[in-house]
Amino acid sequence: MPMSEPSPIVLVVDDEIQIRRFLRTGFELNGFVVHEAGNGAEAIRSATLRPIDLVIADLGLPDMDGSEVVERIRSWSSVPIIVLSVRSNEAEKVRLLELGADDYVVKPFGMAELLARVRVALRRQMRAVSGEPTVKAGPLTIDLAARAVMLNEKRLTLTPKEYRLLQVLAQHAGNVVTHQHLLKEVWGSIHVHDTHYLRIFVRKLRQKIEPHPDSPNILVTELGVGYRLVQSGSEIDAPAWPNSTPAKTEI
Amino acid sequence: MHGAGKFDLIRKELPGVLTTLGLVGALTAVLFAFVWEIGLAHGSVVYLVPVVIAATRWGIVSAIVAAICGVLASAFFFYEPLYSFRIKDPQEVIDLILFIFVAVVVSQLATRLKRQLEMARQREIDLRDLYAFSRRLAVAFDVSDIHAAIEDHLASVMQRNVVLFPSAREASNSNGRRASVTVPERVLAEVVEVASGHRDTAAGAMVTAASGEIWLVRAVSPKSPEFGVIAINLGLESKEHSNELRIRVDAVLADATATLERLGVAHAISEARMRSQTDQLREALIGSVSHELRTPLASILGAATVLSAAPMLQKERKLTALVHDVRDEAERLNNDIQNLLDATRISSDGVKPHVEWADPADIINSAVERCRHRLVDRRLAVDLPSDLPLIHVDPVLVQQALIQIFDNAVKYSVSGSRIAIDASTRDGRLIVSVTDQGAGLTIAEKSQIWDRFARGERHAATTSGSGLGLWIANAFIAANDGKVSAVSEGPGLGTTVNIELPITQAAIPQLESDADE
Repeated sequence: MPMSEPSPIVLVVDDEIQIRRFLRTGFELNGFVVHEAGNGAEAIRSATLRPIDLVIADLGLPDMDGSEVVERIRSWSSVPIIVLSVRSNEAEKVRLLELGADDYVVKPFGMAELLARVRVALRRQMRAVSGEPTVKAGPLTIDLAARAVMLNEKRLTLTPKEYRLLQVLAQHAGNVVTHQHLLKEVWGSIHVHDTHYLRIFVRKLRQKIEPHPDSPNILVTELGVGYRLVQSGSEIDAPAWPNSTPAKTEI
Repeated sequence: MHGAGKFDLIRKELPGVLTTLGLVGALTAVLFAFVWEIGLAHGSVVYLVPVVIAATRWGIVSAIVAAICGVLASAFFFYEPLYSFRIKDPQEVIDLILFIFVAVVVSQLATRLKRQLEMARQREIDLRDLYAFSRRLAVAFDVSDIHAAIEDHLASVMQRNVVLFPSAREASNSNGRRASVTVPERVLAEVVEVASGHRDTAAGAMVTAASGEIWLVRAVSPKSPEFGVIAINLGLESKEHSNELRIRVDAVLADATATLERLGVAHAISEARMRSQTDQLREALIGSVSHELRTPLASILGAATVLSAAPMLQKERKLTALVHDVRDEAERLNNDIQNLLDATRISSDGVKPHVEWADPADIINSAVERCRHRLVDRRLAVDLPSDLPLIHVDPVLVQQALIQIFDNAVKYSVSGSRIAIDASTRDGRLIVSVTDQGAGLTIAEKSQIWDRFARGERHAATTSGSGLGLWIANAFIAANDGKVSAVSEGPGLGTTVNIELPITQAAIPQLESDADE
């Protein structure tokens, strides 16, 4: 466990008891304390009453849509939220991320995949609290305070837009950042649909920061959703199984 | 009925009779001139000419009129005493009686000949209709084609507006408008009644519409409800004449039904109908079952991954192997279900791509990433030029098509063989090729692999699969205005699958320079 905190507390929100059961076991085996909620109202009550470090929320709840749970909790808390969905519709993922979810995992998923996402979200939360200014992603180091980018200890020269793009990704290191968010932050809100800007700049940026720009593994693409800066030490870049489940769209 | 019938008869025969009288008059004038000039006697035989003409042209009535007039004219103009109907010579009386006898026989024969000619002509028309009808039935694709053929056939035989309703539902939904014919509401109501089986008279019902037109509504065949119900516009006829028409309708329908039965149309209709219902049912079932199956599958897969990582199980190698089996099989099941869901999506409401500007390298890399564990024991060679143009597609659909093609390449090649992924541009198109060293394709397989549920016969026993993968890939690429094709040197010599996608270079908006800032 890379976590220095003792026993992070995770709130699992799902109406399927079998899902809650395996999540509880999986989390407890990895040193988490687990709270459970079977519906949206219970989840919101639980999140207000007790201190929690992370929320895992299913999208299909009996009393309200999972996205509503995300919205309600996000209105007063910055606790990391990871959404579980059977629907792997890209537009839906984007909407959830815009509503304030930190990440999503498509059902069915493996425990390792979920744990990797959870650790990324917790680390990011910790960095936000402690004010840690550097982000490491493989051989790449981004010093947000000094506005410096180093590759293998060698300082890189980036154009202002390239740096801005990398900065936004680094601020959300490990998490997906949607195309719309990146376009708005780098080019301004009138360009939120100009995805081709992003494609061309990501290509240029990869030429500078990736050891193998043709098969990038630092700045990775989440098709139809956005980009993710893969952090060193996280298990996302080398999982044996989780990536094997193709995320496919459905109706 | 008699008054009107007699009047009709007179109206029908009058032109013939009048023309006959004219003919006889003209002939008399000519004969009279001859007799006057040359002194020819006994012209009565010549009067057979108008008799034969009248009999072949206008029928028996005109022929008899011609015969009588001929006799009277002979008696008046040519037999002694002249200009009187009286006849002196007994020989001439016998001549005239003989003439009348011959005239009647000739007119009878001529009329019969005429009727036979008409019948032969009608039979020829009927045969031609029937031939066209059966030809249309033979190429009829579905139930509505068959019904349209029946409708047109009846309309051409009856020479009236004919509307055919396949079922009660169709009648109540149609608002009375069918192609060029508008069916009055009252008639429509009757059609619904007949089609729902509430009328058991085979003869059907006459309905007088608000406009005064009389419509005949009846089942095409009382025995086979599949043929539907027809409404025939008999027009503004009198009730009596309508009844005659109705008898003709019965005859035509009996003929048509016999033809339909001979051609096995009833069977074809019900079969086609059942087929489309089965298709719908199957799609709905696959859709809902797949959704239901995925929920427990999420629990199974999740629990298996928790178990496989559990420290207590790490030392129990046999148990760990079992857990891995559960995990892998659940994953395979999940892929199969996903394929079924994709297939239902393609066939039920089509694929609606969410297009955006995408980097082809991103799509290919993420497809490879998704398949990494399946490609793990193949020598993978990805060769992508760094200057590939952006494409305007749904990246997720293209990725899924690629995953299906990778899956297929892995499925039909052996461990340790090479799978090469290349991309290039040619003639304004991006071409992504996936080349394996696997089973290759026979000529027959090459034409079948893109079909739904296509399974190569050579591999059916040894390789598992639903035969949906490449069909899905093809549909997803087609939804992006692209096309897929397969090339193979032959069985055992590997396969190259090419995906072609359009590059709309001109449409990429000009990008502001980064240095402008």
